[in-house]
Amino acid sequence: MSSKRIDRVRQLTLLALTGPNVLFLAVFCVAPLAVLFSYSFFQVDFVAILREPTLANYARVLESATYRGLVIKALMYGIGIAAICSVIAYPLAFFIAKRVKVYKAPLLTLLLIPLYTGDLIRIFAWRVVLGAEGVLNSLLMWLGIIKEPIWVLLFSPFSTVVVLTYNYLPFMVLPLWAAIEAMDDSYLEAAMDLGCRHAATFFKVVLPLTGAGLIAGFMMVFVLVVGDYLTPQLIGGSSGVTVTSAIHDMFGAAFDWPTGSALAWVLLTAMAAFITAAVYLFYKSPWGRGIRGAK
Amino acid sequence: MRLSGWAALRGYTFVVYGFVYLPIMLMGLFSLNASDMIAFPLTGFTFDWYTQILHDGRIFKGLLTTMAVAFPVTIITTVLGSMAALVLTRHKFKGKTAFLALLVLPFFVPKLIFAIAQVTFLNDVGIPKGLYTVWISQSMIILPFVTVIIASVLFRVDKRLEEAAGDLGATPWQTFRRVTLPLMKNGILAGSFISFVLSNAEYTVSYFTSGRAQPLSVLVASDFRFHLSPSLNALAMLIVLFNILVIVISEWFRRRSVQA
Repeated sequence: MSSKRIDRVRQLTLLALTGPNVLFLAVFCVAPLAVLFSYSFFQVDFVAILREPTLANYARVLESATYRGLVIKALMYGIGIAAICSVIAYPLAFFIAKRVKVYKAPLLTLLLIPLYTGDLIRIFAWRVVLGAEGVLNSLLMWLGIIKEPIWVLLFSPFSTVVVLTYNYLPFMVLPLWAAIEAMDDSYLEAAMDLGCRHAATFFKVVLPLTGAGLIAGFMMVFVLVVGDYLTPQLIGGSSGVTVTSAIHDMFGAAFDWPTGSALAWVLLTAMAAFITAAVYLFYKSPWGRGIRGAK
Repeated sequence: MRLSGWAALRGYTFVVYGFVYLPIMLMGLFSLNASDMIAFPLTGFTFDWYTQILHDGRIFKGLLTTMAVAFPVTIITTVLGSMAALVLTRHKFKGKTAFLALLVLPFFVPKLIFAIAQVTFLNDVGIPKGLYTVWISQSMIILPFVTVIIASVLFRVDKRLEEAAGDLGATPWQTFRRVTLPLMKNGILAGSFISFVLSNAEYTVSYFTSGRAQPLSVLVASDFRFHLSPSLNALAMLIVLFNILVIVISEWFRRRSVQA
């Protein structure tokens, strides 16, 4: 075949492979998001939606201390849980990547199984464990360690943090593991040989070399926690009012789709702004070497 | 690192895995406990909760709906995911970054917002909710996962094998059919199994886009929102065991080709 013909075949192949995906995502993902965006400029008149553009919904959301508080709370949870996950995941990922030989694959699979089982089952299992008359309380009472059930175990910010950490830990372990796996051992040995202590080795060698994995994991956990809707509702009790549940309410009982979509878009914008800032700062920091590429 | 450091890390790893499996194991334990209170002390051994679930007609109907969603979703995501993975690992072109961004977009949009966008869209376009609206919205959520799994296998397939086929006079189609496809077969299988499992587990999107026919996950959620019962434990345990089976098979396929 002539090279011209090969080029043509390649182009057609590319079109055939990307076309259906682009079409599918444009029609069923981008278009619905665009429709939602359009609603944020509409008005609601008792039971009907008036399609006359206004910025009033955004003004209402941004002026309301409640909504601002909910958005900030969501971002704080996202940052907090991502930080907890990274602290828990680093030693684990390091051990699996650098020490485990034979059981590496089974260990990683084992970590993924609860993830694939779905949020619902995992939340259910934690309710069984943490409930006031649940497994943990009854065990402690049976053993005589406590006299009264500890109520704070369930339907509290404590339980929310535990279950969110549990839910999204694999999203931190996997990218960290991949980054540590790719890291050359000789850097570690060199640092040790030169008398670098553990903490210094971590901050000066491991962290810069695995920065890409860390930021990837951080982003994923952050996004998933901010967007989590089930966990706070089913585990958080009265503290479970989140920005996502507020959005849901406006699309349900309150029938205020315009304010609901405005709030949704404020949240999306805040998330995007935070991620952009975090990635940029990490990139510029001394730990961002792994992303900038070795120079 | 000195030996004691590794020993500490090993112990730590065990603790984290304990944390990961504790709730599931307790759930399993109490699905076999005779009392209808999910609390210590254990009162005796029974299979009653399992037989109760297996005789529940509502659960069976939910299971049928779940399957009626999972199979089409598996097919849609496996086909689209294979195509996307091929593009990402085998082609260089302008706009590749944009293509990748589009592909992972559903992952980065909170599920609830995504689900509500689907609802407003369906409402505006005038499409009634039904099984096929669940097919589409679930596929969107699951597609990034399937693409990554298939791409992870393709990344490690040596490109020179395909180049060699071309040099030996194979047409691009022949190369794909006889070289690339067999090499990515395990990735495709792994991706489809995971897609199947994720579809079974999906709740948020299914809840919003399913009409009258409710999949198992939606049924279970409405049950346990109000009360926990050992029979729900048994059902959750059956789902977990089924998922473990499917995931283990899938990982076996994926790793087999990654190691080869």
